[in-house]
Order: sequence, then C-alpha cells, then structure tokens
Amino acid sequence: MDLEEEYDPSYNDEDEDEITQEDAWAVISAYFEEKGLVRQQLDSFDEFIQNTMQEIVDESADIEIRPESQHNPGHQADFAETIYKISFGQIYLSKPMMTESDGETATLFPKAARLRNLTYSAPLYVDVTKRVIKKGHDGEEVTETQDFTKVFIGKVPIMLRSSYCTLYQNSEKDLTELGECPYDQGGYFIINGSEKVLIAQEKMSTNHVYVFKKRQPNKYAYVGEVRSMAESQNRPPSSMFVRMLSRTSAKGGSSGQYIRATLPYIRTEIPIIIVFRALGFVADKDILEHICYDFSDTQMMELLRPSLEEAFVIQNQQVALDYIGKRGATVGVTKEKRIKYAKEILQKEMLPHVGVGEYCETKKAYYFGYIIHRLLLCALGRRAEDDRDHYGNKRLDLAGPLLGGLFRMCVDNGKDVNLQFAIKAKTITSGLKYSLATGNWGQANAAGTRAGVSQVLNRLTYASTLSHLRRLNSPIGREGKLAKPRQLHNSQWGMMCPAETPEGQACGLVKNLALMVYITVGSAAYPILEFLEEWGTENFEEISPAVIPQATKIFVNGCWVGIHRDPDMLVKTLRRLRRRVDVNTEVGVVRDIRLKELRIYTDYGRCSRPLFIVEKQRLLIKKKDIQSLQQRETPEDGGWHDLVAKGYIEYIDTEEEETTMISMTINDLITARLNPEEAYSETYTHCEIHPSLILGVCASIIPFPDHNQSPRNTYQSAMGKQAMGIYVTNYQFRMDTLAYVLYYPQKPLVTTRAMEHLHFRQLPAGINAIVAIACYSGYNQEDSVIMNQSSIDRGFFRSLFFRSYRDEEKKMGTLVKEDFGRPDRANTMGTRVSGEDVIIGKTTPIAQEDAQGPAARYTKRDHSTSLRHSETGMVDQVLLTTNCRRVEICESEVRIPQIGDKFSSRHGQKGTVGMTYTQEDMPWTMEGITPDIIVNPHAIPSRMTIGQLIECIMGKVAAHMGKEGDATPFTDVTVDNISKALHKCGYQMRGFETMYNGHTGRRLPAMIFLGPTYYQRLKHMVDDKIHSRGRGPVQILTRQPAEGRSRDGGLRFGEMERDCMIAHGAAHFLKERLFDQSDAYRIHVCERCGLIAIANLKKNSFECRGCKNKTDIVQVHIPYACKLLFQELMSMAIAPRMLTKDIKPAKDQKKKGA
Amino acid sequence: MEGASYQRFPKVKIRELKDDYCKFELRDTDASMANALRRVMIAEVPTIAIDLVEIEVNSSVLNDEFIAHRLGLIPLTSDRAMSMRFSRDCDACDGDGQCEFCSVEFHLRAKCINDQTLDVTSKDLYSSDHTVVPVDFSDSSSGFDNTEQRGIIIVKLRRGQELRLRAIARKGIGKDHAKWSPAATVTFMYEPEIHINEELMETLSLEEKTSWVESSPTKVFDIDPNTQQVVVVDPEAYTYDDEVIKKAEAMGKPGLVEIYAKEDSFIFTVESTGAIKASQLLLNAIEVLKQKLDAVRLSEDTVEADEQFVFHGRESFFLHSTVFDKY
Repeated sequence: MDLEEEYDPSYNDEDEDEITQEDAWAVISAYFEEKGLVRQQLDSFDEFIQNTMQEIVDESADIEIRPESQHNPGHQADFAETIYKISFGQIYLSKPMMTESDGETATLFPKAARLRNLTYSAPLYVDVTKRVIKKGHDGEEVTETQDFTKVFIGKVPIMLRSSYCTLYQNSEKDLTELGECPYDQGGYFIINGSEKVLIAQEKMSTNHVYVFKKRQPNKYAYVGEVRSMAESQNRPPSSMFVRMLSRTSAKGGSSGQYIRATLPYIRTEIPIIIVFRALGFVADKDILEHICYDFSDTQMMELLRPSLEEAFVIQNQQVALDYIGKRGATVGVTKEKRIKYAKEILQKEMLPHVGVGEYCETKKAYYFGYIIHRLLLCALGRRAEDDRDHYGNKRLDLAGPLLGGLFRMCVDNGKDVNLQFAIKAKTITSGLKYSLATGNWGQANAAGTRAGVSQVLNRLTYASTLSHLRRLNSPIGREGKLAKPRQLHNSQWGMMCPAETPEGQACGLVKNLALMVYITVGSAAYPILEFLEEWGTENFEEISPAVIPQATKIFVNGCWVGIHRDPDMLVKTLRRLRRRVDVNTEVGVVRDIRLKELRIYTDYGRCSRPLFIVEKQRLLIKKKDIQSLQQRETPEDGGWHDLVAKGYIEYIDTEEEETTMISMTINDLITARLNPEEAYSETYTHCEIHPSLILGVCASIIPFPDHNQSPRNTYQSAMGKQAMGIYVTNYQFRMDTLAYVLYYPQKPLVTTRAMEHLHFRQLPAGINAIVAIACYSGYNQEDSVIMNQSSIDRGFFRSLFFRSYRDEEKKMGTLVKEDFGRPDRANTMGTRVSGEDVIIGKTTPIAQEDAQGPAARYTKRDHSTSLRHSETGMVDQVLLTTNCRRVEICESEVRIPQIGDKFSSRHGQKGTVGMTYTQEDMPWTMEGITPDIIVNPHAIPSRMTIGQLIECIMGKVAAHMGKEGDATPFTDVTVDNISKALHKCGYQMRGFETMYNGHTGRRLPAMIFLGPTYYQRLKHMVDDKIHSRGRGPVQILTRQPAEGRSRDGGLRFGEMERDCMIAHGAAHFLKERLFDQSDAYRIHVCERCGLIAIANLKKNSFECRGCKNKTDIVQVHIPYACKLLFQELMSMAIAPRMLTKDIKPAKDQKKKGA
Repeated sequence: MEGASYQRFPKVKIRELKDDYCKFELRDTDASMANALRRVMIAEVPTIAIDLVEIEVNSSVLNDEFIAHRLGLIPLTSDRAMSMRFSRDCDACDGDGQCEFCSVEFHLRAKCINDQTLDVTSKDLYSSDHTVVPVDFSDSSSGFDNTEQRGIIIVKLRRGQELRLRAIARKGIGKDHAKWSPAATVTFMYEPEIHINEELMETLSLEEKTSWVESSPTKVFDIDPNTQQVVVVDPEAYTYDDEVIKKAEAMGKPGLVEIYAKEDSFIFTVESTGAIKASQLLLNAIEVLKQKLDAVRLSEDTVEADEQFVFHGRESFFLHSTVFDKY
C-alpha cells in the first residue's frame, strides 16, 4: 500500500497524507514509551499522594478536647472551661526512609527493603495547629494559637516507580547499579520484604439511575435504583429504590400499579407522591410537572394516576413528613420530633449526591422525579431496561482510591488518641501496613473487610508479573450460579482481554486489562460546572418544568445540574476543548439524543481507551506527524502526550463509546471514502489504533490467536504464567522463596507486534524447538511428547531452580533469645546439600525451672531448618543481617528435562515428556535435521489450534530468511503467502518433510509436518511430584498415615476405591488397606462388661476393675480411630460395650432381668 | 546348512571430502547397513570431552553447573580417542579416571581487570596434552576467519569477575551424552530414479511445463532453453515431497513422471563437530561396527547358536581398505 503511494506520481495531496496501519505502530510505540505497562497503578497512586491524601486530611474535622472539669469545693478554677482544638494543615511526604536500630536514618532503596524484610515507606508529616480556647466565667474567650510544623504522623508505603519512589526517572544504568531490573515496571509495594500488588476492584458506578424489569411473577413490575454517594464522603452509598407494583399483586385498589420509593432508614415503602409532598411540592400539578414534564403525554400521566389516588389522603407537607417519620426508627416520640426526623432523612440521607445542605429540595425533587420518569419510560416500553453488566456502568477501584479509603479510616479513627505530641505515628503506619500485608481491606478485626485485595506479586515469569499488575477482580460471590456477570460483554471491547481469565470458580470474574486501557484517576467537576454555566446552562431556579421536554438535561457525574437548549453546540464545544486539553482529556462526554440527555463524567475508575479521531472519513493524524514522531531525538519532546494535545487522539470511555462510530481499520476508512455506497458507515467519528490491542498481556504473546479456537487462547494465557524464563534481570540479587530460571531462553522466531512493548524479546520464556507432529513409537500418546535426549544433553530446556529458606533469632524474653551458633557465610556457599540436611542451625533455650533439684539434662532445644526432603542442590547464597539476627539461604538446583516434565506450545497445547530418544533414534529429514520434540497429531483436530500450525510454517520461513515472523492477529498475513515463501526457500509449501525412521533407516510412509515452534517449559516437574510410601509418619491423634508428599504421607484409599473393592468382593485386601496398613490397634476387653480392661502384658496380668474380673479378658483388634471414639464416648458418660461372645437370646433376657 | 550366499560387496564412492564435511555414495547394500553406519557415526564413535570440572573461583554471572555444562560441549580434538581407554575400565588408575591413559587435564584462569567485558573462550583452556585441545575453527577454510575468531565463548566477565578451574576430559561415546558425539549431522537418502514420460510431457504447453517444473520446491527439473524439453537436472535434489506428482495429477496428467527410490543405493552426508576429521569419523565408525560384530561372533562361539545371523552379519566389512586407497 505505502509503496504504491510513494511511486505513484499522480497522487493527490490528501491521499499522500494518509497514514497506514503500519504507521499506527509508531503511535503505539510512543504510547508505551511514555506510559509503560502499569500506568494505571502508578497514575492512581500518584493521584492519591498528590491530591487525595491532602483532601482527606482537610476533610477530617478538627479534634476538640474538652476536659471534664473536676468539681473542687472551695477552689474556684481560673477558667470555667478550656477547650483544645487541633486541626491539621498542609501535609508533607519525604522520600522512602528507614531507621537503623542504632537510630541512624537513611534513604531506603527497594533492593534493601526486599532483602532485609523492610517496608518501603516514606514518612508523612503534617502541620498541626493547636488552639486553646479558655472561657472565663464572665463569658470572655481567650484563644491561644500554637503552630507545629511538620509533625511526623506516620509512614505511607510507596509504590515502586511512582513519583515518590527513589527509582523515579532513574536511567537504565542507575537502576542496574542500584541492583534493580531495568525492565521492572514497578506498580507494587514492598511490605515487610514481600512485594504486594493491589488488585483493582470492580464495582457498580454510583449516582446512576438503573431501571430493571422484574421477572414475573413478582410483587413488582419495575424497579428504579440509585446508589447515591456524595463526592468525597466516606460513607457507604445510600440506595434508593423506586418500585412499580405489578398489576396482579395490587389488592383491591383501582387500577393498582402504585409506585413507591424506599428511603434510607425508613422501614416501609413510601408512595412517591408523599415523598414529593414531604419535599414541599404539594399540588398534583407541581408533582406531575417534575415527573412527566409533558402533560400531553397521556400514557405516562395515566400510569401516575393510581399513585396520585393512593396519596390522596395526605395533602400537605407536615402530614407527609409525619407519615414518613412514623415509619422511621424513632418510635413513640412527639409529632414534632418525627417531622424533624423525617426532614433530616430527606435532607441528609436521601440522594446525598444531589446535596445534603439546606434548600436542596427543588433539586432533589427534580432528581427524584427524573428517577420516576425513567421508570415510567421503561414501563411504557419506550426504553429498554438498563444493562447491569455494561462496562460503562462499572468503575474500577485502583491503588489510589483503595489506599484513600484506608487512609481515611486511619485518619478518622485517630480522633481520640491524637494529642499534640502524643500523635501516635503507629496508627497510620500500622493501619496501612496491616491491610497491604494481609490483603484484608479495612481495619483489623473489623467487620466488612474484603480479603485478597493485596496479593503477593507473582514472579514466575516476566509476563506473569505484568499480567498480575494489570489484574482486576469483581467481588461478586464466586458461588453465584448467575452466568451473566462472568460473560464477555460487548462493552468490554478494548478494555478487558477477551482471552485472559482463569478457568473454574473465578472464570470471568477475574479479568485482565487490555493493553491500551486508561483508567481515569478522576478530576474535579467544578471546571465543568463553570463551563456549563458560562455556556448557557439553565439551572432549576431559572426554569419552569414545562421547558424540560424541549431542552436537553445535563448531568455531571450523575447529578442533574440543569438543562440546555442547544446541546449540539455544547457537545461540540466540549469535545473541541477536550481535544485541545483545555478540558481534562479523561472527561467523558455522552450525549444521549433519544433520552435528551447530556452526561458528563469526571469521576475516577472509568475505563477508557485512546482512539484516532476521524473527521469527514479522514484521520486527523497525518503522515507528517508520524514522521516527526519517528524522527524525534529524545523521547521527551513530542511523543504520545503531544499527539493527544494536538487533538489527533482522544480517550473514549465505555459509555461515550456508545455514541461513537468507530472504524476497525484505517483501510475501512479509505474504502468508505472511495465507494461510499458500499461502506458500512458514512459517519465514522473514530478509528481503532489497532484491533490487536484488545488483548491483554498474556494473550499478546500468542502468535495467530485469531486462528485458534477461543478457549485455547484462554488456556495459553493461564499457562504462559507458569512458563520458565528470566523473570527479572536482577534475580541473583533477590531472595525469592521460589524461582525458576531457564538456561538458554530464546526470543521467539514468530512474534507479535505487542511483544516489543512487553519486553518478551529481552526476557523470553521459551525455546524455538524443532517440532514434528508425528506418531513415532507410540510414546507420545494422550498429550505426551517425545523429546530428543541429545538436545537435552546440549542444554535444551535446562533450568535452574532456586528456593530460599529464612529464619531469625527471636527474642524470648529480655535476656533469652534463640541462637544461631556461629553461622559461617563463606564456607557454606557452594556446599552440596540434599535430603533433610540442616541448613540453618538454631537452638532455643529451654526455660529452666527453679534452681533446686537436679540440673535438667538438656538446656536447649533444636529448632533447625532443614532442606525439603525431596530436594537437593547447592547453597547459592547466604545472607546474614544485622548482627546475625536473620539468615536467608538460597539453594539452587539444575533441572534437566526428563520423562514426566511438562511443556507446552503457545496455543494451550500442553504435554508431558513420555519418552526421550537420542539423536540417532529420532526420525531425521534429508538434511539430517532431527526434531527436538515430537507431538502426537491427535492433539490437533479436536482442539483446532490452527495458530500453532501457522506458527510452525512461519517459523520455518523465518528461520530460513533470518528474520522474525509477524504473527500479530488481525493483519492480512495469510497461510498462502507464508506457504509461497516457504516454497521459495526450497521446502514443501505446507511444511511437510519426508523423514526416515531412526531405528531402521526406512523412509516413513507419511510426510511429517516439521518446523520450529516456540515451546515453554512449565513449572510442573516430576521431581517435585514423585511420591511413594511403604510406611512412614502417622498423625498423632488418629495414628492414621499423614497426608501429603511434603510429610511423606500415604496415598488415600478413598471411598470410591473402597466401593470398587467391595464390588470385587476383595474383603481381605480391603481390610488390609483400611486397617492393617492404616491404624491397626489392639485393646483388651472385659468379656463381662464389654468395656476396656487393664492389661499388663509384661506381667501377664489382666484386670477389669469394675467387674473384679481377672480371667474373662480378651484381646480385640480395632482401628485406633475406633478406640479413640470409644474413649470420647466414655468421656461423655456413654459406655460403648464391645460384646465379644455370641449372645444367646435367653442369656440376654436374663441379663436384662438382672 | 550351506544355503545360497547372500553376501554382497558394498561399494563406497567419495564425492566430496573436507576436514569437517564428507559426501559419499554407498551402493550395493541395504538400508539396515546404511542406517547402522549412520547410527554408529552419531552415537558410538568415541571422542574426548570434558567430563569433570573442579571450580576454584567463579564470580561470573553463570553458576558452576552452567559453566561445567558449557565446557563439556566444547569439541576437543580426539584423534587419540580410539586408542584411549574408557576411564571406567582403566587399570592404571583404579577407575578414578585421572591418569594419563584415560584422561586429559585442562586449566582455565581468567579475570577481567578493565572496564571492557572479557570473553572467556575455549582458547583460554590450557591442555596438559597437546594432542587434545579445543577445536580451532579459525584456520579452517570455512570462511569464519574474516572476523577475529577467539574460539567458543564460555562466559563473559565484567570488571572484577574471575573464573579459575581445573577440568578433566575423558573418552566417551555419544550414546552416553551428546557431548561425545563427533557428528554434527549424519544423514543419508535413497538415491532417486526419475523417469519422465516424454510422450505425455510433450502434450503440455510451455507454460504448463514451467508451472510443473516450478511446483517442485527444489531444483530437480528444468526446461531446456533450446528444445523446450523438461529435463532432470539434479535428481538428488528431489526430497521425496511428491509435489511434482501431485501437480501432474492436478493438471490431469497422472503418470507424467515416475519416481522410485533405489533400495540399495544411498547418498551420505557427514558433518563433523571438528573433534575428528570427517573421513576419520567414517573409518572409526566402520572400526566400531567391526568390533561390535566381533563381540557378537565371540558370544556366538560360546553359545553356539544362530549361525545364520553371523553369516549375514559378517558379510561386508572389507570395504574401507579398497575404497580409501582409491581416493
């Protein structure tokens, strides 16, 4: 395409300007260069530090302390009352710091924090003003003001690579010098040495009217719902429901479809008309004006009739308020109080986002009327019910808002403790640390906490780390059978990865962000409000309800602020200003023409994504812009932000996306221009930057995902996280509890464009193996593979395995502490260790009882740490910290692929090694090539992973041409093109090759599909799983075999196995499994009473004390668990008798008689 | 029991011979023989490779096992290998594998003292035996010499890093570990026999002929510019891919060409790692095969069983003397 344009002399000016799809990648590169991959985390945290934190401090009310003056007869105090008022001012945050035990402070670097189990946090200071107000007896007030600047109030954990991090904007070289990986993206915290990510939490957006139709039969036909939450208010949202009864459930009444509302703190539903009357709108006409706007709309008026009739008895505000008050929490109080109570509820609790101050009644009535209006529209079938799963109705809580909530709680709770210098720094420090460390969001021991918000950062592979930092969780019950919230929704296009989600319980609830999503951090609404004011928005005081049907309603963050009569102009101006960055780029402008609404959003947590702006079927960005982008010298000048500022690209959020017409490719625009008749649309407003950007981190690694069956991409997205590679470049300076590193990682021959930005070439996780798809000897059946032993000898998929063990000397009292003895770092490094070798020796002193009596034999107890019994390796690194208080030992082991190890291609095709053959046994081609891996052809047809086959032939071409193959989805690469290229390289065009049997030398009857395919080694290896046991440890309580490989436990002979043995009639085998090989035990039983007798086998004496019986005693074999049960029964005063003789009925009767 | 003799007299014709490359024909024998030769060349011709590494100092980025593995894979000149003992049955050193009859000692000392990265290569390995040294490609004619060749890289050191070790090389075979395999590639193909049905071919237009010729990924056929006839230029370039046959069928001319694989004629390609010369690799392979057969005959002498097997196996092992004299 671009070639043609260059050489065609007769081009017209405009066409020359047009950019190609290829040029879009320059734009994408500029984006990632500027933003990196964890921008949402960093932006969100920066917003918290720079604005939210100060806002929270400002919001928190002054602390007032009134000493309860003690009555002292005879002594008259100087002042009647002294009030201390403490208020907080400016806050200051320094760089991350730490204090050594000797009191020295120094800046803290992440490396030190990780190795020394410290928290990467920065001290927070605040200006405190203390005012002492003394009231004399004569009423005069004396105020003393004292300012304390920069009082330390706690430590705030700092997100790595955020603007407050020590690593912020360090060069690659500096980062390496500091022991950091230059590819590490930051976006996480270090709490007590472990890396923690805050998982974004999905929630329903607040201040939004939803109308749902109820599934019949139900008491209600329609429900309107608003979860209202005022800005900057730390209160759970107050819900309001407006429900319309269904026709059938109406008892008696005329037509029956009453509409009623639920108010907060009010037990029963209140008819809507009563709410209006309580708000001060008494006349029917007034009320109807607020709901229906247009009196000629008889259908709607008719629907309101029953409600009006229902409230006919209450015809003034006081009565209405009383009606509400009676149904509130207060019982048995005076009418005045009830009315006051109802008033307060209406003012403060109902729809707080509209306003909580006085004189908000008009606004509230309008908003309330609007809710009913929407409900009626839905009831009349003029508008469909709202979609709960639409992503425009979702908001994401990222690190910033999450920490903000936490910080607010900490500040709020500090109230009674803080007193000038007695400000407890620990409140904030430990409050923040607790939640980040445990993931329980909210205060310790408090109810209503969310678990799993903060997670330990996954460091298995670089891609798994990235994907973890971009994860998203919907806190909806996992058990819920409802499939809808789990399904992929249209509105998630470009926001959430369609492939990457776990399988099973959390399927569809845990999501991952697509590559180019921007999550808004929130901006202030007042510039928008000011703008609206200026541009002729009329607010409610100025208008009469009669004009509403003609005008467009304007909402800002869900709050109805007024109406406008020329919305076309308004929207255009707003968009223009936004494209010029005069209005914040993340502001969402949604014009709903049908509803006559203009919704403007400035709140945080909306998903948005950048798109090319299209005007007159033409992109605004031109070739010359791309050229200047590519030719710029430093990444700082020009770049992405410049493209946005110039108005070529804008961010469109999910709700605004509904009002746009987006062309999928640039070519679509060109075709639309060339023959408008056949074009899909003639009103394109935007153009996709590249459709492959809908994928997330893990799915972007898959070559040709558009040729695979979709679940396979999901499987690979999960498996890519278990692949071994190089997870960070500084792995030798880290002490991860578990780490895998591949010996010879290779960048893939077949790549995608997105990989460049995921650094998959720099930190790869796999090898370009020569893969044959063939049946050969039958050792690759059922998803196993044959692997070339000679390749393995040469280092194919060799890997390192690291495990670190840590321990510390705990203080057990003031003087006593645990003891490491004499740890020797230098001599232990490089030692071979295996089995249950002790690698950290430690003793704990045993508390000695008083000095009297003979000295105890032992004074210390062994508390050493030993190596896992199934592992062997070398001591790689030993770390001793602060006067030997802590030890960390890292042990490494080389893992060579062997039968049973797990491998997978990038298409969800996993398999274990079933056999290894040396080179001479492998089939070979005419050129002498032997495959590294042979997979079974049966793995392909039912799974439909065509992508793998295309990857293979493209890999073959790439290897021959010495180039990388491009396997980006949604491009115009075709199998035919690749085949032709392969044919030119001198190979059979579809990748087949004649092969010879390595054992016999005969030609194989079928041609074999052979070529390089990128394979991954997965972390599951036989050596970590192999387990067998003859006899071994038992549980103390039941004496049954222990459970689990790590405890050398037994293999469970379960219920189904038991059933099977019963079915076979293998009674003795069953008894052996369940009894002899488990918890066989032997007890002595008195034959007379059937209870357990005393037996002394050494002295050969047997006795049942109760029966005075020394002769009739028998030995019984029972399971230990059974004996335990009997003893437990006995402790509950139940006598379980074991009758060992056949009881003759006669005898039995005699006994009963006696 | 003297039945008919199946004895055949295989012939070898060398086509091309370089230090590390050899191409020859093997005729008048069957696939089992050819394959036996191939298998022995890959897996049973002994060479010398580093087998034991004692690391004194290693402050490089690679761990000890990694370096030991890399050292093992370095090809060492192994002309001595045939005469050397396996250390497992060496009497001189009670099997600890450290004597001169079964081992060669190497030393490596490298330290980076300036800011430039130091490449530690196979040239830094000092051998106790001048006949067993890392393979040097720099003087070979294979065209590597234009850049400064410093041998095979073992590890790169940055300032202050050091590597000091002692390594012991031993004799071994490729079956035990691929590092002892002297062959980079050993492959053979059945010699193809191509018959073009000229009559049918003449029914094709020139255009069709070209498209037919081009359907083969390799240059097997060509069109004579003068006569415009399709001729076989290089039958051995044929990869048994059946493309031309399928093409002929697609054109509605089945039987346009017939291709057979000769059952008793093989074209071998041998590439050596450099441990031993390609020609020597072949000779050693035959020697090893002979030894294996001797072992079989020995067991036959004791067990007195299966004459026939020996009879067949004995057949063809005097080929090398005649052939190589010729070359």
